Amino acid sequence: MLPFPGVEHVLTHMLSPRRYSTLTLVASVLLAAGCRDREIVSYRAPKDPAPAAMPAAGSGMSGKLPDGHPPIGQSTNPGPVDTTQLPEGHPPIGQAAGAGGMGAMPGGDALPTAAGSALVWAAPADWQAKPAGMIRKGSYNVPGDNGAVADLSITAFPGDTGGLFANVNRWRGQIGLPPIAESALDANIERLDANGFNMVVVDATGTNNGQPTRLLGAIVPFQGQTWFFKLVGPAPVVAKQQAAFRTFLTTVKAR
Amino acid sequence: MKSFFLPLKNFFVSLQLTVALLILSLVLVFVATLDQVNLGIWAVQAKYFHSFFVMWHLPDTSVSLPVFPGGYVIGGLLLINLTAAHIYRFALTWRKLGIQLAHAGLILLLLGELFTGIWAKETFMRIDQGDTKHYSEAFRANELVLIDHSDPKFDEVVAIPEAVVADQKSIQHPKLPFSVTVKEYFPNSSLQMRGPGAAPSPATAGIGAQLAALPLPVTYKPDENNLPAAFVEVSSPEGSLGTWLVSPGLGMPQTFQYGGKTWEIAMRAQRQYYPFSLTLEKFSHDRYMGTDIPKNFSSRIRVRSDDGHVDREALIYMNSPLRFAGLTFYQSGFDKNDTATVLQVVHNPSWQIPYIACVMMGAGLVIQFGFSLGTFFRKRKALAAAAASMPTS
Repeated sequence: MLPFPGVEHVLTHMLSPRRYSTLTLVASVLLAAGCRDREIVSYRAPKDPAPAAMPAAGSGMSGKLPDGHPPIGQSTNPGPVDTTQLPEGHPPIGQAAGAGGMGAMPGGDALPTAAGSALVWAAPADWQAKPAGMIRKGSYNVPGDNGAVADLSITAFPGDTGGLFANVNRWRGQIGLPPIAESALDANIERLDANGFNMVVVDATGTNNGQPTRLLGAIVPFQGQTWFFKLVGPAPVVAKQQAAFRTFLTTVKAR
Repeated sequence: MKSFFLPLKNFFVSLQLTVALLILSLVLVFVATLDQVNLGIWAVQAKYFHSFFVMWHLPDTSVSLPVFPGGYVIGGLLLINLTAAHIYRFALTWRKLGIQLAHAGLILLLLGELFTGIWAKETFMRIDQGDTKHYSEAFRANELVLIDHSDPKFDEVVAIPEAVVADQKSIQHPKLPFSVTVKEYFPNSSLQMRGPGAAPSPATAGIGAQLAALPLPVTYKPDENNLPAAFVEVSSPEGSLGTWLVSPGLGMPQTFQYGGKTWEIAMRAQRQYYPFSLTLEKFSHDRYMGTDIPKNFSSRIRVRSDDGHVDREALIYMNSPLRFAGLTFYQSGFDKNDTATVLQVVHNPSWQIPYIACVMMGAGLVIQFGFSLGTFFRKRKALAAAAASMPTS
């Protein structure tokens, strides 16, 4: 028995068919909330500022891309890329200091690399220098056990080449890893200060042709250029040479 | 009629229902927590909590079956249960005021969560030092936009949500003198330069003709973003104007001419424009002396409303957000060697409800225990008086 018969009346009243309209209202609010995501809208918006000029390397190396271009070319196959058709002002795409295929460009239209050889370094004795080609500033075969070899490439390009974030994701793409969010950038890089350079070191392990492949790279902004030192190859080889690579980075100096 | 409603009423006011719902919610939270390994926080929230039922997708079919009540069902039933019991069981007397108030507070808390789920919107605003922003951007949602740039003062924007793009249908809008047909859509993709021997691109105009969009599985990881891509054909009554590749991964604007106007086509993070602007005057990243350990992040912001009524400065730092125009701007991150700030922009009209609910519940408990304490003291006093009046031997 109810303590207050009136309360029962209230409850019955609350659940009466007339009150179903309230429930219908609540349901339509919920539905409307669900449909809000599918509404095509039109509005007037203030104009965006014109895209900023690409910042010089060294000043803009902390991740944000210039308004020019976000990461593309996260190719697992950094093969030859014909960049001659890119619109004016378009940053280079897939200008990988790649393990393969970037030694020479098709045709005569070489990618604009940084002029000169402004940086010098000292490679460990067991690294075998090989012809650098048109793009690379330096090129080595880095040996591991049982004849396995990793590739070390040194390249340089003017500007910030799309920014740190784009380059980290480009490198990840080369070993079959998905791109990271910009917010996760800091967790995926290591900053190393050596000889006055603010290097960014990337260490990532993925796969290439089904084989575990590790990429150990350093991005070095220098006088408006960006230098890339990249060791890529079978994971055991790179693991073995990891310490040597770090020592090698500390030998990088301005000429 | 009564014979129908009585069992219904008994069901809704029963304590067994409360216990059953609490057990169901425990199971829901437990399973959802484990499933975060597979889906990540956002998808888990949508699948388990912001849903009426947890759906199970039958393998190799497009059929989904409800297998467990979702957050809305459990929370909604709890709300009905609590409200019904509140009306039905508790007497409206001063002595029960505390319990009434505490339960009303709990009901309000549940309602507040429902309203937050429906209305709250979180976006972010990234501003470079010296720059001014009129809009914030969604964390995950994207939109296909067609922008008429012909007016020198403002842009006319038609924004099509990604959910509509995903339908891969033809879209017409009164503000567009042409139709837009989504020919291909990938919720996540990788954009690459097209090799020399590759098959021709579906895109016939813009940078997309030189790129390949490779579909990738959708990622649910909290630190990864999906990069959607779509091939979109624009058709006028005179014929096709071309097919463009659009993706938030393409930063260069792609434009075309139609009807003497310049149009831009792009896919970008969904924007929310405001009738005011925020300018980042200075971002500060203070570190503890001699270390790289962050001590404080703060953004000095200038707020200007379009109608000119507001023009003031505000300092946003950790735990000290800017509240303006129904929005809350929290310091969320920074960028570009400490020269850009990232603010989280929260629109939650029901943000005060949990505070009010907590005050109500607190006051209810204080009153309830206050009554008990009063009763206790009165009893002790009576006992002491009785003991004093007893003859001593």
